[in-house]
Amino acid sequence: MHSNAHNTNQIMRQVVYALALGVGAAYYFFGWGIILQIALAMVTAIVVESVFLSLRKLPVKPAISDGSAILSATLLAISIPSIAPWWIVVLGVAFAIIFGKQLYGGLGNNPFNPAMLGYAFLLISYPLQMTTWAGEFLNLSQAIDVIFNLTSVDALSGATQLDEVKTQLALGKIVSELDVHSISQAWINVGFLLGGLYLIVRKIITWHIPVAFIAGMVFISSMLYFINDQIYLPIQSHLMLGATMLGAFFIATDPVSASTTPKGRLIYGFLIGVLVIVIRVFGGYPEGVAFAVLLMNITVPLIDYYTQPKVFGK
Amino acid sequence: MLRQSFSGGVVIPNPHPVETVEIISAPLPDKVVLPLQQRIGDEAIPCVKVGDKVLTGQVIAKTEDHFCVPIHASISGKVVSIDEQIIPHKSGLKSKCIIIESDGKDQWVKYKGCGTDFLHCDRATMIEYIRSSGIVGLGGAGFPAHAKLEGIQDCHTLIINGTECEPGIMCDDALMQHHPQEIIRGVEILLHICGAQRAIIAVEDDKQEALNSLLMYCHNDRISIEQIPTKYTSGAEKLLIKMLLGIEIPSGRFAIDVGVVCQNVATTKAIFDAVVDNKPLISRIVTVTGSGIESPNNYEVRLGASFEHIVSMSNPNTNQHAIRMGGMMMGVDVETIHLPICKITNCIFVNNIEVKFSTQECIRCGQCNQACPVDLLPQQLYWHAKSGNTDKAMDYNLADCIECRCCDYVCPSHIPLAEYFSFAKALHRKTTEDQYRTDIARERFEFREYRLDRNKRERAEMMAAKKKELKKKMANDKTQKDKIAAAMARIKKTKKASDDA
Repeated sequence: MHSNAHNTNQIMRQVVYALALGVGAAYYFFGWGIILQIALAMVTAIVVESVFLSLRKLPVKPAISDGSAILSATLLAISIPSIAPWWIVVLGVAFAIIFGKQLYGGLGNNPFNPAMLGYAFLLISYPLQMTTWAGEFLNLSQAIDVIFNLTSVDALSGATQLDEVKTQLALGKIVSELDVHSISQAWINVGFLLGGLYLIVRKIITWHIPVAFIAGMVFISSMLYFINDQIYLPIQSHLMLGATMLGAFFIATDPVSASTTPKGRLIYGFLIGVLVIVIRVFGGYPEGVAFAVLLMNITVPLIDYYTQPKVFGK
Repeated sequence: MLRQSFSGGVVIPNPHPVETVEIISAPLPDKVVLPLQQRIGDEAIPCVKVGDKVLTGQVIAKTEDHFCVPIHASISGKVVSIDEQIIPHKSGLKSKCIIIESDGKDQWVKYKGCGTDFLHCDRATMIEYIRSSGIVGLGGAGFPAHAKLEGIQDCHTLIINGTECEPGIMCDDALMQHHPQEIIRGVEILLHICGAQRAIIAVEDDKQEALNSLLMYCHNDRISIEQIPTKYTSGAEKLLIKMLLGIEIPSGRFAIDVGVVCQNVATTKAIFDAVVDNKPLISRIVTVTGSGIESPNNYEVRLGASFEHIVSMSNPNTNQHAIRMGGMMMGVDVETIHLPICKITNCIFVNNIEVKFSTQECIRCGQCNQACPVDLLPQQLYWHAKSGNTDKAMDYNLADCIECRCCDYVCPSHIPLAEYFSFAKALHRKTTEDQYRTDIARERFEFREYRLDRNKRERAEMMAAKKKELKKKMANDKTQKDKIAAAMARIKKTKKASDDA
C-alpha cells in the first residue's frame, strides 16, 4: 500500500521542470548556449551512466529512468558558462557521474553533490574556460560555432558581474564607483527563485534549506556591509548575482547529500549561505556556491547525528 | 476537547467506502478450527479428546498460566480431530488446533454471571469472569484483557478506543452503531473495576453515526465521548493518550504507569457480555473488504470459522486474490482463504493481485520522518538497518519504532522500511543475546582458569608450608635424628657387608 503523492522518478522530473523558468531567463539574455549545454550534458549523462551500470552488471533502464543522472547533468550544464567548449561539459558530467556518484555505489550513496563535484573539478582544472561568460545573445549557429570551437569566443564573451566587481575591488576601486547590478543576472535569479517556490508548493523540497541558505547570506553580508559599505557589496547584490537562487533552491537541496533532519537542514543551509559569502568576499574565486555546498556535504553525518528530533516518550 | 495532536501520521482515504455500515449475522459454520496457540502466552492444553461431544461455550483447552485465557468451543458438536493446521500468521506455519464438527443445534453451556445489577459484584469476581470468558484485546493486539485490569492501583482515566484507525476496517464502527448500549454498560463495568473517575470514548470524526448512537445511550456524566481527527495511527494507544490527555508516556513504559487504562470498544462489549452473563467470547465482528469484493460488509461470525465462510457471502469477483488479515497497513499477508477466524481477526482484505512497485534507492528526501508519528528518522534507520549496523540503529531509537508503516506509505522509492526495522530489531535482539551468551561463557572460562590457577598456587603454598614445618619439626626432634643416624649406619653396614662379600 503506497501513497500516490510522489515517486522518486516524478520528484527528479519535477525538479528538472522547475528549472525551466531560470533557464528561460538565461536563454532570453544569452541565447542558445545554455540549451545546447543542457542537451550535451543530458546525452553524456545517459551514455556514461549506462556504460557504468553495465560495467557494474546492474540493470540500466530503471536507473536511467529515475532521472537522477539527467538532473545532475542539467544542474551542471546550467552552472557552467554557456559558451564553454563542448568538452568542458562532457568532461564535467562524466566526472560527476563516475566519481561523484557511481563509484560511491550510485543513487542515494554519494556523500557529495555530484553536479558540484563536477563543477569544482572543472573550475580547478580549466579556470579560463570556466570563467569566460557570454556577453550577449547568441543565435543557434553562433552558439554552435562557439561551443564546437569553430570561432574564437573573445568577441562574444565577458566576465560575470561578481568576477568584474572582485577584480575592480582588488584594483583599489570602491563599491560606489562600480556597477553592482546586472539586469540579466537578476532575472535569471528570479527565474530560479520562482521555480524553487514551485518545488516547495509541490512539496518536492521543504522550505528549510533555501530559507536558511538565504538567511545565512543575508546575515553575514549585512554584517560586512555594516562594517564597511565601500569594500563589501550590499545584500541585494549578493542575492541577485551569481548562482544564489540556483544554489539555494536546487543545489543545496539535493536530498541525497544534504542534511536530512529538520533542524539539521536549517544549520546546513545557513552555513552554506555564510560560506558562499565568505568565499565570494575573501576567497580566490568570484563564486562560492559549489565549494560551500561541498564543504558542508562533509559535515552532514555530524549534523544529522546531533540534530535528531526528540522521539515520542524520550 | 483535544489537548494536542501528534506530529506525523498519514491521512489515507478509505479505499472501499460503504453507504451504510451493517452487521450481518453469519450462519453457523459446519466446522470450526480453534488454534491452541493464542497471540500471546503458552500453547493451551486440550481438555477434550477426539470423539467428545462439546457444547457451545464449553472450555476445551486451557493453560496453567494465569496470564493466559482458556479456549472455548464456538459451536456445539463433536471433536473430530486435534492436529496441526495452518493458522493465520505471516509465517504460514502450522500449529495444533482442535477441530469441532457442528451438530447444527448450537446448544450452550449454562453460565451465570453478575447479572445486570453488576455493581454489587466485587472487582476480583468480575476480573475472573473476564478471564474465564477468554477475553483478549479485540483491536488486533490480542493482549489478555484481565491482565490489563489486575492489580490496578491509581487509575484516573479509562480510555475506550473506538478509532478504527486503519482505513477500510469498519467492524468497530458497526459495533458502535448497533450495540451502543452494551458498550456504555461495558464502560461502566470497566470504570467500576479500574476505580477511575472518568472514561473517554474516542471516536474518529468520520464516524458521525457511531458518535450519535453512543451519545443517545450515554447518560453517565463520568463518561464522555470525544471526536479525534481521522488520521492513521491515531488509534495507537500511546498516541491516543497524548491526543486526549496531553500525557506523553515515557519510552519503555505503559499506559498504566501514567494512570490510564485503555481498552478497545469491541473488547468493552465482550467484557459486558462476560460480566453480566458470564458469556464466553465465541464470536466476533469481522469486516470483509478489498478490491476483489463486490459488497464490503461486516459479519458476526463464530471463531474458528473459515475466512472463506464469510468471504463467499460478500460476492467476491472471480479474479485471483491476495488475502490479507488485519488492516492494510499493519495486517499480515496470508497464503490462503482457508484459515480460521481468530480473536484478533478484525478484517479480511480480499484484493485483486496488483503489480507491485519496484523498489528504488533511498534519496533521503525526508518524507518518512515527516510522516513518522513517533518522530524517528526512518531514512537514517534504514541506512543502518540495511548495513546490519544495529547498534547504530539503536542509537537512532530503533526500539521506539511502532512499525505502523507510515514511512512505507509515503516513501517515493517504495522501500519496505518497516520490514527492515522489524528485521533489524530481531537481529539486534539476537546479537545482544549471543553477545550475552559469549560474555557469560568467557567469564566462566576465565573464572575456571583463575580457579585452577588459584588451586595450584594454594596447593603449592600448602605443600611448601608443610615441608617447612616438617623440616623444622625434624630439626627439633632428637629421636628422629637418632633414628636417621641409626638408619644411615645400618645402610653403611649392609653396604660394607655386601662389598666384603
